[in-house]
Amino acid sequence: MLAYVVRRILATIPVMLVVALVVFSMLMLAPGDPAAVIAGDQATPQDVERIRQALGLDRPFFVQFADFLWRLLHLDLGTSIFTNLPVTHMIAQRIEPTLALMVLTIVLAVSVAVPLGVVAAWKAGSWIDRGVMLFAVFGFSVPVFVVGYLLAYFFALEWELLPVQGYTPLGEGFLPFLENLILPAIALGTVYIALIARITRATMLEVLAQDYIRTAKAKGLGTRPILFLHGLKNAAVPISTVVGIGIALLIGGAVVTESVFAIPGLGRLTVDAILRRDYPVIQGVVLLFSFVYVLINLLIDLLYTLFDPRIRY
Amino acid sequence: MKRRTFLSAAAATLAAPSLARAQGARALKFIPHANLTVVDPVWTTAYVSRNHGFLVWDTLYGLDEQYRPQPQMVEGHTVENDGKLWTFTLREGLRFHDGEPVRARDCVASIARWAKRDAMGARLAALTDEMAAIDDRRFRIRLKRAFGLMLDALAKPPSNVCFIMPERVAATDAFTQIRPEQIIGSGPFTFKRDEFVAGSRVVYERFAGYQPRASGATSGTAGPKVVHFDRIEWHIIPDFATAAAAIQSGEVDWWENLTADHIPILSRNRNVNIFTPDPLGSISILRPNFLTAPTNNKLFRQGLLRAVNQADYMAAVMGADPKYWKTGVGVFTPGTPLATDVGLDLIKGDLNEARRLIRESGYNGERIVLLATTDIASLVALSQVTGDLLRRLGLNVDYQAMDWGTVVQRRASREPIDRGGWNIFCTNWAGLDHINPAGHHAMRGSGAQAWPGWPDIPRIEELREAWFEAPDLEAQKRIAAEIQKTVLDEVPYIPLGQFFQPLAHRRSISGVMQPFGIPVFWNVRRA
Repeated sequence: MLAYVVRRILATIPVMLVVALVVFSMLMLAPGDPAAVIAGDQATPQDVERIRQALGLDRPFFVQFADFLWRLLHLDLGTSIFTNLPVTHMIAQRIEPTLALMVLTIVLAVSVAVPLGVVAAWKAGSWIDRGVMLFAVFGFSVPVFVVGYLLAYFFALEWELLPVQGYTPLGEGFLPFLENLILPAIALGTVYIALIARITRATMLEVLAQDYIRTAKAKGLGTRPILFLHGLKNAAVPISTVVGIGIALLIGGAVVTESVFAIPGLGRLTVDAILRRDYPVIQGVVLLFSFVYVLINLLIDLLYTLFDPRIRY
Repeated sequence: MKRRTFLSAAAATLAAPSLARAQGARALKFIPHANLTVVDPVWTTAYVSRNHGFLVWDTLYGLDEQYRPQPQMVEGHTVENDGKLWTFTLREGLRFHDGEPVRARDCVASIARWAKRDAMGARLAALTDEMAAIDDRRFRIRLKRAFGLMLDALAKPPSNVCFIMPERVAATDAFTQIRPEQIIGSGPFTFKRDEFVAGSRVVYERFAGYQPRASGATSGTAGPKVVHFDRIEWHIIPDFATAAAAIQSGEVDWWENLTADHIPILSRNRNVNIFTPDPLGSISILRPNFLTAPTNNKLFRQGLLRAVNQADYMAAVMGADPKYWKTGVGVFTPGTPLATDVGLDLIKGDLNEARRLIRESGYNGERIVLLATTDIASLVALSQVTGDLLRRLGLNVDYQAMDWGTVVQRRASREPIDRGGWNIFCTNWAGLDHINPAGHHAMRGSGAQAWPGWPDIPRIEELREAWFEAPDLEAQKRIAAEIQKTVLDEVPYIPLGQFFQPLAHRRSISGVMQPFGIPVFWNVRRA
């Protein structure tokens, strides 16, 4: 097991190198010139060129890439072209809101979606099942920003219960933290709830048709232990896979949600950086997201062994 | 008591004390028009960086609402030697945020850095024989020949502004950005570097050592800058609907640039006041490329000019209510001294006349590449109206949609159309930029040195030079009329109209000002 974990962690190194090369190449090949954005409309071509030289953007591709890799080896993601701040500092400033939003969304989604999926499977064909599936279709179909606007309109403007925007760090109190984050988490979680609920229902339907479930029922075991102890545990592998894959959905959704609710997270940092062509920031954030994604996949693989003792590494 | 207020109060009891401190009544919460990324207003021309600059740094002269330079940091000046020797004296007691006094040598270094990046500054530098500190409070500028626009240059509020920085900071190369820890000015607010989250929040605190001018009236960027808030918080809210909701709910006090779509909604809110603070507004333009066919043909450009109906463009940008826009816009911003209506009857939306001229130009169905912006609402509208207009003229339009960052890069290409070149793009300039020829880049005809589009029109350059040398306003006006006539004949660009973006603020604050489109945070107070 330990050897497997070490092997997997070592395997992330070439993956990250490929990601670095792809991200760097795409940015260099994509149109856009940060020097022109900085210089503005009044600048002469000579001014733009001088800024480009000062930023080192006039150097050949391979020189810039080698410089980027060398700094990366020293865990230095460089300095933002625009703010003149270290990328690591900018990421550190933004990581808490995004992390908090994602964790809250996952907790909310799993605690709502799994029971919904289980109940839908238990009551398959009933109005409860149809209701859950209707909600799932709604969750998949309505864009995150529409859900966000609707929530903000009702909860903030109409009923005046929660703030429209912003973020309060956890260090400044749990309730203000939750007050700012609950609407974004619901908005972002809707599609996630739909996804997990559908997978849970489908997997549970399969599990509930197994012989050992019939045996449990014959032995007089109650509904709750059958569903949650014997059924859900055996359905956990595909559900946890979907939860893991869904992290990618969350990263994408966080970009929109953070914009709608003005949360100073990594999603907004990425969008702002892309619009300005702030190459070091884009590279840093994409590398971080890729690393997190690789790590979560590893974590999910390890979780399989908990749910299913037959799985060995 | 509002439900949210009640809930917030309950929540505050569980929160750390810092929360209550940050939300004190002495803080003003403001939504700027854009994200502040560059904190050095000399390094970039971005308006948001300039606006940030007016909080942190002070200027030697301010510009009042009648466009007259007024002393700001200076006590006064003398002019000798037929206008060739200027001596400036600083007010007493001026201090930087680090406690150091503002000295004449700081001014000399700041002017020198600014002059490397600004058109009017470059003009001043070219005419300067010597610039030196005489003592701590006095410095002189010795010119090769008289420069009548000296004070206008030092007072100009359009980017780049001549902000006064400490000498050690101003010593930074003009093409290198100063570091965040070097944001030290002598303006009414200090920059809170430890609370700066780029893209989210910018915080300023009142500078206790700031000394407003003792007399005069506050007007434009001139006059006493009296501060009534301890803290100014800029909240960057990129989503307009969220910004509108935030001001409705009272989470922010002031929204700099209200979008047309939200005017009706906020107008109905009795706690919110809406008005257009800047009589100069923004000027929309269409820029043809002089290096690529068919826009390199004068008759073709004249055809486009005849086809333009400014009302179509402005209605698309700001909505149907003409309160927020103006047509009949020429080269210089309407309502300013150099504005004239000479030749404006040529911009009349006459499609038949336009088609005739385009036919005469020899246009033969060549592809016309329109660089259309997708991520700035007003530019989306301008691009769409242009695309529609070109199609109605029967032209072969290649409507290439892209974000503004890509437009900025693509428009720098001087290549032919089949190698990534372009024919037309649309953009906006602040009305302030077009009040005279000095910072008016769209009208320039300096060929390869000009703004993308590269019109080569020596006559315009001659007239611009003559304007710099003009002895009085009447002479300037005559030259301005001649410039407009030439521009409407050669068509280096087409003015598409003027629009006025309103601001919205809670009625709980008063004294809100945005002179020349610059939100200023002095004299505003809780009502």
